[in-house]
Amino acid sequence: MAELIVLAGAQDRDLTQLAEYRAVGGYVQLERARALAPTSVIEELNTANLRGRGGAFFPTGKKMQFIPSREQIDKPHYVCVNADESEPGTFKDREIMQRVPHRLLEGCLIAAHAIDAQHVFIYIRGEYLAEFELLKTALDDAREAGLLGETVIVLHRGAGAYICGEESGLLESLEGKRGQPRSRPPFPASSGLYASPTLINNVETIATIPKVLELGGAEYARLGAPPDSTGTRLFCVSGNVVKGGNYELPMGITIREVIYDLAGGIPEGRELKAVIPGGSSMPILSADQIDVPLEHDALRALDTFLGAAAVIVIDDRACMVQLGLRVAQFYMHESCGKCTPCREGTRWLVQLLEAIEAGQATHSQLELLLDVCDRILGKCLCPLGDAAAMPVASYVVKFREEFRAHVDQGRCPFGGASSLEGLFAPVDQHGQHPVLAEGVPA
Amino acid sequence: MSTAELVTVTIDERSVQVPKGTGLVETAAMAGIEIPVFCYEPRLGAAVGACRMCLVEVEGMPPKPQAGCTLSAQEGMVVKTARTSELARSAQNATLEFILVNHPLDCPVCDKGGECPLQDLTFRYGPGRTRMTFEKRTFEKPIPISPAISLDRERCILCYRCTRFSESVSEDGQLVAVNRGAQSLIATFEDEPYTGPFTGNVTELCPVGALLPTQPRFEIRPWELQSVPTVCGLCPVGCNIDVNQREGKVKRILSRNHPELDEGWLCDKGRFGFSHLYAQDRITDPLRRVRRRGLEELSWADALDEAERLLRAAEGRIAVALSGSETNEHAYGLAKLIRRGLASHSAVLPEETGAGLDAFRAPLAAIRDAELVVVLGDDPVAERAPIADLWLRKARRAGAEIVELGPLGDLQVAPGTTAQACRKLLRSELGSRLRTSERAILIWSGGGAGGGSHLAALAGELGFAAKPGCAAFLLPETANGRGVAEAWAAASDEEGAEDQPLGLLIVSGDEAAANPNVRALAERAESVLAITMFHTLAVGWSDLVLPGTSYLERDGTYVNLEGRIQRLRRAAIPPAPDELAWIAELAARFQVELSPHPSLVFSELSERVFGGVTYEDLGEQARLPERAPFAATAESPDEPVPAEAAGGGLQLLRYRPLFSGAAVERVPELQFQRPPPQIELSAEDASRLGVSSGQPLSVRSNGTSLELKAAVNRHLRPGTARIAEEHARRLHGSVEVSP
Repeated sequence: MAELIVLAGAQDRDLTQLAEYRAVGGYVQLERARALAPTSVIEELNTANLRGRGGAFFPTGKKMQFIPSREQIDKPHYVCVNADESEPGTFKDREIMQRVPHRLLEGCLIAAHAIDAQHVFIYIRGEYLAEFELLKTALDDAREAGLLGETVIVLHRGAGAYICGEESGLLESLEGKRGQPRSRPPFPASSGLYASPTLINNVETIATIPKVLELGGAEYARLGAPPDSTGTRLFCVSGNVVKGGNYELPMGITIREVIYDLAGGIPEGRELKAVIPGGSSMPILSADQIDVPLEHDALRALDTFLGAAAVIVIDDRACMVQLGLRVAQFYMHESCGKCTPCREGTRWLVQLLEAIEAGQATHSQLELLLDVCDRILGKCLCPLGDAAAMPVASYVVKFREEFRAHVDQGRCPFGGASSLEGLFAPVDQHGQHPVLAEGVPA
Repeated sequence: MSTAELVTVTIDERSVQVPKGTGLVETAAMAGIEIPVFCYEPRLGAAVGACRMCLVEVEGMPPKPQAGCTLSAQEGMVVKTARTSELARSAQNATLEFILVNHPLDCPVCDKGGECPLQDLTFRYGPGRTRMTFEKRTFEKPIPISPAISLDRERCILCYRCTRFSESVSEDGQLVAVNRGAQSLIATFEDEPYTGPFTGNVTELCPVGALLPTQPRFEIRPWELQSVPTVCGLCPVGCNIDVNQREGKVKRILSRNHPELDEGWLCDKGRFGFSHLYAQDRITDPLRRVRRRGLEELSWADALDEAERLLRAAEGRIAVALSGSETNEHAYGLAKLIRRGLASHSAVLPEETGAGLDAFRAPLAAIRDAELVVVLGDDPVAERAPIADLWLRKARRAGAEIVELGPLGDLQVAPGTTAQACRKLLRSELGSRLRTSERAILIWSGGGAGGGSHLAALAGELGFAAKPGCAAFLLPETANGRGVAEAWAAASDEEGAEDQPLGLLIVSGDEAAANPNVRALAERAESVLAITMFHTLAVGWSDLVLPGTSYLERDGTYVNLEGRIQRLRRAAIPPAPDELAWIAELAARFQVELSPHPSLVFSELSERVFGGVTYEDLGEQARLPERAPFAATAESPDEPVPAEAAGGGLQLLRYRPLFSGAAVERVPELQFQRPPPQIELSAEDASRLGVSSGQPLSVRSNGTSLELKAAVNRHLRPGTARIAEEHARRLHGSVEVSP
């Protein structure tokens, strides 16, 4: 049976209360970690093979090991937590902050100990005001309880730019500059915030750390789909499903299980058309590919990624050109403008998709659309350009007939009857929390 | 030179050895291979990798194109550029296609056309035709981001060179990118004009026709311009410039990077100041004062006869007031004529200069490598030697400590008391750090006599002569004051007789004509011969006026503040013969042998004072002469300490703004840069007087009363009132201020 890791205890307790969190073993791991050498903490994370939950899947312990020692670089070390969750389809970090803020704070303090940092910055998406308030209260309580020790934790609210969720854009923004990504190398580990060694991790990654220590790295590594996709993820299930929401599940569960066993299937008996497994920037899967386990290697074999584990379910009402347009418009709007292919390419993609949707495009422009995607892909300063090009190209490749129909018929074949209802739209989090621990095959 | 480890890098199958860490763009260039760039410009700081023009394939790195500009040479690196890699070729082609998607392609009416990197790289690497069939992004254009620079946002490719210059070179932070994504654009805050000493550099940095100087707008095609390599003559730095002229007229001035001196930057005065050549009131013919009729033009032949008559009539009682803007040859010629031909030896030199600092000589670039710089004096460095200010900023960015000691400095002393402060400095903690540092620099940035000797004494005391990384710079007021003084001295060993009634005053140049002391001397002279470019200066009080020429119209040499002898080349045809030409003619009438050719005069002068160096030795980019041996000099007497302002008065600090003087006053595009009629007050004095910035104030001293606007300057020492020379007029000593 699967058990909750990150959200453990939150199903029947209000863990935003410090006392409640302590009652389920909260901050015990912090105390333990502080008694350990930083290297032992990192070793534990390596044993667990904990990977970054923000989308890049980079081993967390290894990232920490990249931080040079003070003897190597005489500068302060910083921990930055990326809580600027903005990828359409993701809403997991929000739930973590809402329900287990202390687990996130405990993770921050353990990470600070592991890399010998005195300062932690949590960069929170500007729109997450309620989460900011909750986290602030939790931080005040933790501080009052003397849990912070010598560590300073700063909460910083973003100002509404998707690019500030890209780690180097986040650092620029945190420094008070225009939110634009930096050229790497140097990587944040050696020159991050204020040109100092910086560990930057996603909320979910950091919030997992206390539980890794609690279970022990080896035990944690048995969860999920070892050897690489260990542990659980908060899958953000949204789109055309009966019960959307966050589901904390072991990696390796199939999309079919998620949709039909947990999320109640497609509403009103409609047909499944496609699934995006990791958030709006990930290549799409067709309905016949949903038996793929949600873990890194299996998805990689299908040319897509788990990303931020946002499973977006698309039913047969969706016009794929319109969907591509919606995705492209988002990335055009959020392109920071620093590098050429992303700045110019995303705008061109939108123009091409608009022409296709309006039935004014030619077949050669379909090829041009693919070529523009290809010319963006892998040539940008940061992953934002890829985030636009990858999904759009995958829609064309997987649903070429539908794109061709737009050209051939000189109009959208749905004739106005299509719907993108609920796609990339947030699932209402406040009515219910369908966090399930039961009934899931491990 | 550097002993850095050499590494071998293979680029397109060519092997090249470079010091480890050399930028990949430079490494490829060493192998004779181009990695094309737009945003990459090492002088702007770390590479940003924004434009994606430099994409290359690197073995062993992820199988996607890498931004070459952000990489550096490592042992065994194997790189393929567009020449040999399809991946790189198509990536570069893609970048250009994307750049051109929204570019207006208006090359036929763009001033950049013909020297445009975007045009050139498109020919070499770009697509031959467009696949873009939709509406292009448009913006309002052109936007005058200042009277001197216009911005075309449609042509802009957002390489961020201009904003990086503004942020990390001139550090004025005025040019920024606003909006996001495809709607990003370059702007100034609230559309205020882009103001400051260095704004024009962005027109040279811009790799497209987005930022263009307004002066030659629509008048130039780059291939029709002729470029003359010379040096700027508007301040003592002597930046190396290329003067672009067409049909004998200067159209624009570009930098000609001398890495030790200016690093390829120019100030706006040097860049845009040239149009004073074409001022309305430029004197083009000799003028003579005729009783009751005023001035009348006369022929050159008559003018020279008249000059000869005035020279003879003075019977040796002649004084020459020099400007410091004369070439060495021109000053030497004048000196030979007056001193040898007429046995008159009195001169009013523009300012005290001396050879004492030659023992602490270094290129200006040495400031960059310093760890500690102390700037002494009343004036900000940028007002006197703007490029030195950029070197200071660069040093600070590299971690150097810059200490300013003066009425605007970190260590505040009263105006005019720098010499006293020097002696205190010697005994201070800062002094002992200067003494122990191997990389310390002293800069004297202020007026008043004796600066050079005080500075030399201080540097000597601190042991700078024995430390090659330590140097001392005096920032004089005039472009060639030192060369002029040396040339004057070289013409004769005789001394001038004093105290006789003055027969003839020769006013050489516009700076001398503008000097109130020279004006006072003219009152005592029986007659006045002025050499000046403009009507308004000396014409009213001269008997004979001969047209002057500009540094852009002369051949010859200048000595800059480092002691570097640099060549001026004639870039524009003057409207009248240049000074040396007619001085030589007059000299012949007094049996003085003087060539009209600057090269021959230089040889003669060089034998006497420059150790015999030749024009060829100077070359296009002159080297700095070796340091002279250190000889302790007698301490020069202190200037009298200005009395502290009595009562409620404030001590007046007059200064010459960078954007002032005869040339600047005649350049329409620079008017907005001139300081407004204002009085700068310290925050303390402003609050005591209850005044705020912008408020009109009555400013009085000894019977003079002016109305000036208040400007609160938080860096200014309390008790001081700072006013630009041109607005201070007859104010002096202590001023009373009231709303």
